[in-house]
Amino acid sequence: MKNGALIVFKKELARFFGDKRLLFTSVIMPGLLIYVIYSLMGSSMSTMLKDKTSSFTAAAVDMPQSISKTLAEMDFEIEDIELAQLDDSKEKVKDGELSLCVVFPQDFEEALASYTAGVDNVQNVEIWYNSADIGSSQAYSRVVAALDGVERSVSNVFDINGGKDADYDLATDEDTTGTILAMILPMLLMTLMYSSCVALAPESIAGEKERGTIAALLITPVPRSQIILGKVCALSVMALLGGLSSFLGTFLSLPALMASMGDETEIISTQVYKAADFLWLILLILSTVLLFITLISIVSTLAKSVKEAGTMVMPLMLVVMLMSFSTMYQSEPRVEFFWFFIPLYNTIQGMSGIFSFSSVPINLLITAASNVAYSLVGIFVLTKLFDNERVMFNA
Amino acid sequence: MKETLKVDSVSKTFKLSAKQQKLKKLDSRTLKAVDELSFSAYSGEIFGLLGPNGAGKTTTLRMLATLIKPDSGDALLGGASAVSDPAKVRSMIGFLSSEVKLEDFFTPDYLFNYFCDLHRIDDETRDRRKAELFGRFGIDKFAHVKVANLSTGMKQKVSLVVAVAHDPDIIIFDEPTNGLDVITAKVVTDFLLELKEQGKTVVISTHIFSLIEKVCDRVGIIIDGKMVTVGTLDKITGGRPLEDVFFELYRERKGDEL
Repeated sequence: MKNGALIVFKKELARFFGDKRLLFTSVIMPGLLIYVIYSLMGSSMSTMLKDKTSSFTAAAVDMPQSISKTLAEMDFEIEDIELAQLDDSKEKVKDGELSLCVVFPQDFEEALASYTAGVDNVQNVEIWYNSADIGSSQAYSRVVAALDGVERSVSNVFDINGGKDADYDLATDEDTTGTILAMILPMLLMTLMYSSCVALAPESIAGEKERGTIAALLITPVPRSQIILGKVCALSVMALLGGLSSFLGTFLSLPALMASMGDETEIISTQVYKAADFLWLILLILSTVLLFITLISIVSTLAKSVKEAGTMVMPLMLVVMLMSFSTMYQSEPRVEFFWFFIPLYNTIQGMSGIFSFSSVPINLLITAASNVAYSLVGIFVLTKLFDNERVMFNA
Repeated sequence: MKETLKVDSVSKTFKLSAKQQKLKKLDSRTLKAVDELSFSAYSGEIFGLLGPNGAGKTTTLRMLATLIKPDSGDALLGGASAVSDPAKVRSMIGFLSSEVKLEDFFTPDYLFNYFCDLHRIDDETRDRRKAELFGRFGIDKFAHVKVANLSTGMKQKVSLVVAVAHDPDIIIFDEPTNGLDVITAKVVTDFLLELKEQGKTVVISTHIFSLIEKVCDRVGIIIDGKMVTVGTLDKITGGRPLEDVFFELYRERKGDEL
């Protein structure tokens, strides 16, 4: 004899896997879209930066030879102009024909050489640039950095980290990876898991109510609790597949996206994580998806239609978003055990701990166990709701 | 004949929204849909509940099918209480109503197997029943076509077959021929008579006099949630047309309001 929950579970999966359109839109498309969009974003940002950084053109008034040489080494093409031509050059900067204009005081180098602090007037170098133009902004930053170097060489009182061969940053690759991923991935994973769940649960419960097919199920002798268990488990499997697809899409496109953001992110590598870290992560994801499905199922049961369920579930989305962003504003994940009893927040903190190598196993266990416990309470609530004729049949 | 269904003073009151109250032109926000209703049905008979729209027929059948609970009173189906032992009742009944729909993504074959599984019917019995019922209703040619792609008549036949897949002793049909073409309606009424011949208890609700006269052994007339009269057709009509008797009773209760 088959268990009622198993029969419902199999039927829900048969519905899901049998519907190619549903399978495509909820499993294949999210991952594919994320991969394509992030990869395109990454490559177009890289291309844009490459194009802009390939060469800069600057118009300069009275630029000293030494500085001109330094800038030439930084891919600047310098055009010497007279002060009278400055307004024309400014227009060219505005129009994007020039990266910037620099105006040095006359005899700049001599003035620097004879400069006495507190006695002589400070020399002023004027740089005209266009902050709305990425190339002009980058050129401005480079010129400012070059001039800062000149200034330091003139009045060098002390250096910071001046040792040539020393690596003053004591962070390991593992630390850097941990810090960056602990900030980004928990938020991303929570959002993806939630999106997968919310795309499926309302259709399965509010949709069945709306279409009148739930009544056929409720007049069978299968206990309500088994019907709910079958539905929740099947929805969790589907949501996990959707979430996995989105995660893979994100993960595979991450290198392209990170590469566009600069050199610091190039050292990010998931190889710093051990199998145990991934197992903990899977445990948290499983328990959280179960909790999400249960919560969204409760809302969907209370709703009269899929559309209404979509509206009613909005506050939950806000809570998820708020909690997800908490990792962006904290220096370290929580370690005190009581935080790990707070649903959803516990997952965020647990994931953040895993990614930053600071997780405490007992806290991760509390997270998974409390998520399962809250889901069971949710299933009990669902059973009561399924028994409520006013909720199920508007009676 | 054995008394397989006993409805004992069941009542049901619904809370109304302000909008519903206004629509129904009622003084209070509650509506007593069924009021102390009692009747019995026996094996090998078709019992008909006759009444106008809103009389409480569907509410009564929904209570018998355990979809909703009575506020007071109880119904015993095959000896099991609809209030305290709904799971047992559900295993003994087949319920067909316009509010019970099949998922149109699946095929009749899949749905038959699915509902048999839910009723814990073994595979051998299931296959035998399926061959018998699908053949009887001409569904076998469409067994692997999604319900969404079937005609309205065929969909109704599939619903009927799925409702009785587990060979229940008590069959409850709410408006069994409503919205059906004449051919399908004939198939359904013939099947009701066949079920009766098999010794099943069949309870139907309808407002169609001819259907009652054609298939029912006994009838209960409901007006405003109350059972006005119940008995065999001969006893109620005394040889007169059922329609005349019904309107006489209706006028007695509601005056000339029609």
